[in-house]
Amino acid sequence: MLENGKIGVRQFTVLVIIFTIGSSILVAPAGLASVAKQDAWIAAIFGVGVSMFFVWLYNSLGKQFPNRTLAEYSEQILGKWVGKMVSLLFVSYFFILAALLLREIGDFMTTQVMPETPIQSILIIFLGIVLMGTRLGLEPLIRASEIFFPWIIGLLFFLVIALTPEIEFRKMEPILEEGMKPVLRATFPFLGLPFLELVVFLMIFPYVNRTKEAEKAFFIGTLIGGIILILVTMLTIFVLGSDFAARQLYPSYVLAKKINIADFLQRVEAIMAGIWFLTIFFKLTICFYASALGLAQTLKLSDYRVLTFPLGMILVVLSLVVSPHIVHFQTFIKEIWTPYSLTYGLFFPLILLGVAAIRKKYGNDTKTEPEKIQS
Amino acid sequence: MGISVGILAVAMVIFMIEAPPLLKQKKKKELWVFSILLLFGVGVSIAEGLQVNIPNPLDAITLIYKPLHDWILNILK
Repeated sequence: MLENGKIGVRQFTVLVIIFTIGSSILVAPAGLASVAKQDAWIAAIFGVGVSMFFVWLYNSLGKQFPNRTLAEYSEQILGKWVGKMVSLLFVSYFFILAALLLREIGDFMTTQVMPETPIQSILIIFLGIVLMGTRLGLEPLIRASEIFFPWIIGLLFFLVIALTPEIEFRKMEPILEEGMKPVLRATFPFLGLPFLELVVFLMIFPYVNRTKEAEKAFFIGTLIGGIILILVTMLTIFVLGSDFAARQLYPSYVLAKKINIADFLQRVEAIMAGIWFLTIFFKLTICFYASALGLAQTLKLSDYRVLTFPLGMILVVLSLVVSPHIVHFQTFIKEIWTPYSLTYGLFFPLILLGVAAIRKKYGNDTKTEPEKIQS
Repeated sequence: MGISVGILAVAMVIFMIEAPPLLKQKKKKELWVFSILLLFGVGVSIAEGLQVNIPNPLDAITLIYKPLHDWILNILK
């Protein structure tokens, strides 16, 4: 195997939580509020509900090949050439996702924090630590996520507590003013933004210690991450109101600006930015890692690390090229990202699962590896 | 001009770090993939640095998936 790291079940849960809230925590509430208005939180709950089905799908695919990554078993299931094609497509998906995440950081920094710094320098500096994390490998990365996790949760907790006095429940009225349709329409992009991207974990799944418990960890992680997203969406709606929230690029960032404790503790939005940077770093590194590992496994290379520097160079250019301006970027995320993700997050896993089942039934050459003996 | 020189210098440094161990271990395939990717990276970086218009892969994706998006939106209308 290219990667010898081993992840514990708890570490995997932490990683899934961080991945789910990464980037979506800042961006998702705006998309939800712009379509579903004051019912955005209902749409968020729906989204989390549907995501459980995706996780179930990834679990049932992952547990058939407990020792192999997506790139390896797609070749085993679909045959050499089609399998290689599919895994390269998956690599391209992870890579584009990584580029979009990197661009998101750049856009956020240049619009909110450092407007005079050229975006390239922010991208390159951030990519620096991503490359470092990727080259160190899975295990150090995941230990780091374990160290940062209490901070992320602590900061979120502080945010929620500090915003409680600002909540006005009448902002959630009228509930379901226009029926269910707008809610469903808002749920749709929300599925693509964090939940279909979870397919990346099929590249990491085989490195988790105990497959059986890893499945549960996948569910729990997604659920906790989803609940955090629901909570943040609720706060955005109840504190800012749906109109104002929908007009913001980063509503939860604006939300943090609302914190005012006794006219003394104000302007703590950097906390929100901090949570976001930590989570998006891990999300981006996992995506980049998955694309480098996937490419190495598809081409049967002995190490993915040699690919990281060249891929990093391409990633910076790609994230500059992907959109001419921020509006184009936002429309792409809102309209095209979910259908695009559906191909990889739903369509391909279903096909892989179906073909694997057929092959198993008719006893072709595909043998599922026996489960590893666990201590 | 300065940008191109800078990118080439960075690429040289990357090559100096990665290539010698691969050469020593006679990992030809790895070296090939690495070099091709690096060459591609240098190419697009310089093009971007000189503000050449690089085709946006997302445009192709948009072209393919726009009908699907419209169709789904139509159902939920």
